[in-house]
Amino acid sequence: MRVTKIKEIIRETERIRTFVFEEKVDALPGQFVMVWIPDVDEKPLSLSKHKGDLTITVLAQGPFTNKMAELKVGDKVGIRGPFGRGFKIIGDNLLLVGGGVGVPPLAALADKAVEEGKNVTAIVGAITASELLFVDRLENIGARVLTCTDDGTAGKKGFTTDLLRDLLQKETFDSCYTCGPEIMMVKVLEQTKAKGIPTQVSMERYVKCGIGICGHCIVDGTGQRVCKEGPVFRDIEVEKITEFGKYRRDASGTKVYFRNR
Amino acid sequence: MVDISTKISGIKLKTPLMLASGILGTAGTSLKRIAVFGGASAIVTKSLGVEPRSGHKGPTIVKSIAGGLISAIGLANPGYEAFKEELDIAKEGGVPVIGSAYGFSFREYIEVAQALESYGASAVELNLSYPNVGKTGAFYGKHTELSYEVVKAVKESVNIPVFAKLTANVSDIVKVAKACEEAGVDAITAITSLEAMKIDVNTGRPVLGNKVGGLSGPCIKPIALRCVYAITKEVDVPVIGCGGITTGEDALEFIMAGAQACQIGTGILTRGITIFKKIAREMEEIMEKQGYRNLDEIRGIAH
Repeated sequence: MRVTKIKEIIRETERIRTFVFEEKVDALPGQFVMVWIPDVDEKPLSLSKHKGDLTITVLAQGPFTNKMAELKVGDKVGIRGPFGRGFKIIGDNLLLVGGGVGVPPLAALADKAVEEGKNVTAIVGAITASELLFVDRLENIGARVLTCTDDGTAGKKGFTTDLLRDLLQKETFDSCYTCGPEIMMVKVLEQTKAKGIPTQVSMERYVKCGIGICGHCIVDGTGQRVCKEGPVFRDIEVEKITEFGKYRRDASGTKVYFRNR
Repeated sequence: MVDISTKISGIKLKTPLMLASGILGTAGTSLKRIAVFGGASAIVTKSLGVEPRSGHKGPTIVKSIAGGLISAIGLANPGYEAFKEELDIAKEGGVPVIGSAYGFSFREYIEVAQALESYGASAVELNLSYPNVGKTGAFYGKHTELSYEVVKAVKESVNIPVFAKLTANVSDIVKVAKACEEAGVDAITAITSLEAMKIDVNTGRPVLGNKVGGLSGPCIKPIALRCVYAITKEVDVPVIGCGGITTGEDALEFIMAGAQACQIGTGILTRGITIFKKIAREMEEIMEKQGYRNLDEIRGIAH
């Protein structure tokens, strides 16, 4: 556990903030850190930059993330990690599909891919215009960005998977990377599999220890640990993860089924 | 050819190297993976209670000195009823599955133990040792009379072997072990993690969400070994050594102290899931070199 201070807070949207810390990282896009707010709790959060100042982007949506939203520049938090397996860049022509707060690790990936001279196309979706993340950031590094919102307030009205379907009718890619609601990722995988595009998925499960020892973030089918063998899984692994798109385990280990399927 | 197989209460084990409770044991698929891919000779489930428990707030684990971990997960578990299907999957691993049970009363210990028996567990290990949740676990293990009563009550309620996992945070662990033996326990697992804590000097706050936790890993091995040595001197039932076992040499020390078998947990952190296979190979190498043929030959020779 290393304690560091918040150096900068960027208000991305009404509910989403980016926290920059007084600590450097050199990680893989897709890796996560455990963030401790003393006397509150500790949670896993994806890095939104793979190197330089440690940076995370957080949606205020529960007790912990709401507490995070109250933090000020100079406040102290504890950091463990980076942990887990990140994205592996394959080929030259990359497609990123991100929904909501699934976008930050993909933005980190885009940074790294562009550094390595790859072409990046990103499909970025959100519920509404004010929740769309990192469109400017992605465009500024030279990525082609296609946007959509559920309510049509920005970009195309509809889901990332609709944009993906249209795009894959005209073009193909060497590899695809997705992070967002699991139901979305299920549909992304269906489409990329049909087109034979290797795909990597970033899964979210209830991580407790972060170091592969407590077994809380196990996925059924393979028995892999999301904090250790994940959070990024390859499509051929995901096919063996029987719970993917069906359920996840809560804090007690009780199965909670995804609703909108 | 060296033979490191062993037996506890009639349960045959291909090696003495079992998975300890509370490690990677929340889901059946994980337990199966530890058995098949990791090479564990038996697997002990996460401790199960009557009701689901979410456990403590984070941090639940913090690294300590010398490969140690201080943890306080807080007995997070989905409750025994949800574990029936997990146990079925765990059994596909092809090794004995031992169900770990905790309760907040004798009745609850009995209820969980009976359920685990009906699900097909090879044995039940009573958690009389967990230090981080109120009136269960170590609450029983710290009271000789309660340890005796709960073991006796469960023994009278199930037909499968009953193990008791003990804590060294007592004035005399041998006394507790003897009480368990008198109550009819089939084996004793010693020891659980030792009560510990970590304070962050930047903030002046305890790091663990529960403030205090249990220390495990190589740093507690000498203490665990001493406990096993002391217990096996006075008690006839088999003892399963647990606490910081990370190498073949560690495991052999426990056998020489008198342990029937060993449990491994925190060692997975440094040596990965296949630690069970690695330790087995190391044990065989050392035994071969020393001319030992089997574990019976060396068990307790340090006495």
